[in-house]
Amino acid sequence: MRRSHEPIAWSLFGAGGMLLAFFGPGLVLTTALLPWLAAGDPQAAHAAIGALLAHPLGKVLVLACIALPLFHTLHRIYHGLHDLHLQAPRLPMQLLCYGGATLLSAISAWWLLLV
Amino acid sequence: MTDKVTVRVQRYRPEEDAAPWEQSFEVPYSEDLSILDALNQIKDQQDPTLSHRWSCRMAICGSCGVMVNNEPRLACKTFLRDYRDRGPVQVRALDNFPIERDLVSDISGLVEHLETVQPWLIRARESPVGEGAYLQTPEQMQRYAAFGQCINCGLCYAACPQFGRDPAFLGPGALALAQRYNLDSRDEGAAQRMQWLNADVGVWSCTFVGYCSEVCPKDVDPAAAINRGKVASDLNYAVNLFNILRGKDNA
Amino acid sequence: MRKPYVQRQRADWWLRNPAYRRYMLREATALPLLLYALLLMSGLYQFTRGEAAFLAWLALLRSPWLLALHGLALAAAQYHAVTWIALVPKILVIDSDRLRVSPATVQRVHQLGAVTCNAGLLVLALLLLRAAGGY
Repeated sequence: MRRSHEPIAWSLFGAGGMLLAFFGPGLVLTTALLPWLAAGDPQAAHAAIGALLAHPLGKVLVLACIALPLFHTLHRIYHGLHDLHLQAPRLPMQLLCYGGATLLSAISAWWLLLV
Repeated sequence: MTDKVTVRVQRYRPEEDAAPWEQSFEVPYSEDLSILDALNQIKDQQDPTLSHRWSCRMAICGSCGVMVNNEPRLACKTFLRDYRDRGPVQVRALDNFPIERDLVSDISGLVEHLETVQPWLIRARESPVGEGAYLQTPEQMQRYAAFGQCINCGLCYAACPQFGRDPAFLGPGALALAQRYNLDSRDEGAAQRMQWLNADVGVWSCTFVGYCSEVCPKDVDPAAAINRGKVASDLNYAVNLFNILRGKDNA
Repeated sequence: MRKPYVQRQRADWWLRNPAYRRYMLREATALPLLLYALLLMSGLYQFTRGEAAFLAWLALLRSPWLLALHGLALAAAQYHAVTWIALVPKILVIDSDRLRVSPATVQRVHQLGAVTCNAGLLVLALLLLRAAGGY
């Protein structure tokens, strides 16, 4: 029996699911309130976020908050479309979902290095 | 005057019918009337051509699985009193299996999948019968006991949309059984079963719908078994990663 | 003569049972959460373009559409968290000779952890921004 490579996708899906369960609602609420929280002194808020993004640990945390949810959600969407009987060949769909998540994560990592 | 209930039974007679159809029967109601009792009443008193499977009447043989109002149920363990005032009760053959006749399903696919996972104690070296049984503590037995309660009734397969989508998927029952032996301290065959768990038709077809565990009449919780199998398969992948990357994976 | 009737799964199978509808709702949480991840990416991109661009992005977050997305993402994140943690004890089984933790305890620890982490993140963000804004 040929071995499935699903463990790679499942591990990233699981890590993203854990992160979203433990920090998802808090993160969404934070960015939802951000314009109002920063309204007092927007420049200072920009500087505070800049300090977070400048720190190596901050970069890693922000990348995790973007990349892992990407892999998590696109994994669910990939399987969800199969559940909905979408008639599409497997490989292009895998390239689109997992390749897309990889590409978007790489772009985010690049932007974080630019800060 | 006796109270009557309406039971709508799915019929499929391969000689005459192109597709299944539905036939209504009136059955005398009583508090302790099970779906199986109702089917037997219909067959004995009203229409001897009705075909359905049953044996023990006590949720042990696993042969009377049917869909009752679209839920997989054992006919002997389901009572009409729970469907009172909810309109007629509909009884169909199990979902996802081919229908042989009326309520009789062809479960040979399930049986093949069960055999695939080698559900017996595998030992590197069998000890002679004279040495007695392989010993095990109650704690060791507890680790797999729930997964060993399966009666092969097929309700979890009727509940599983991934098996419905692709009958090659080994499915909840077989994968729970694989886990039952892999977790058994007396067994040494996990490596042999692993190649089946690792496959696309193994644990990786499951998307944790979880309905298999809801319908299981013996509380086996196959969804938990499969997803613990995913953790095992995931670790197995990591351990073999170097060989996988070299294209020399033979685990 | 055998002529088994093969039942094929219909594309609308998931509409026909409440358990399947709940499953599909759980999987559908991925849609708003994907859009939210893309929104985070856009914020990061605007940050790389300088302060003015980032503050414009911040102002854009007040638009009704993005507030609606935030509302939807919040609901999705909460439903995800509840359904996710409900399944954790089935996967994470701590049952060795040395250490045994009951599934109920595993679940409780995860629930408490999730509430603490989510509330902690929010409080931390509030404190940091307050310190930065000096009010």
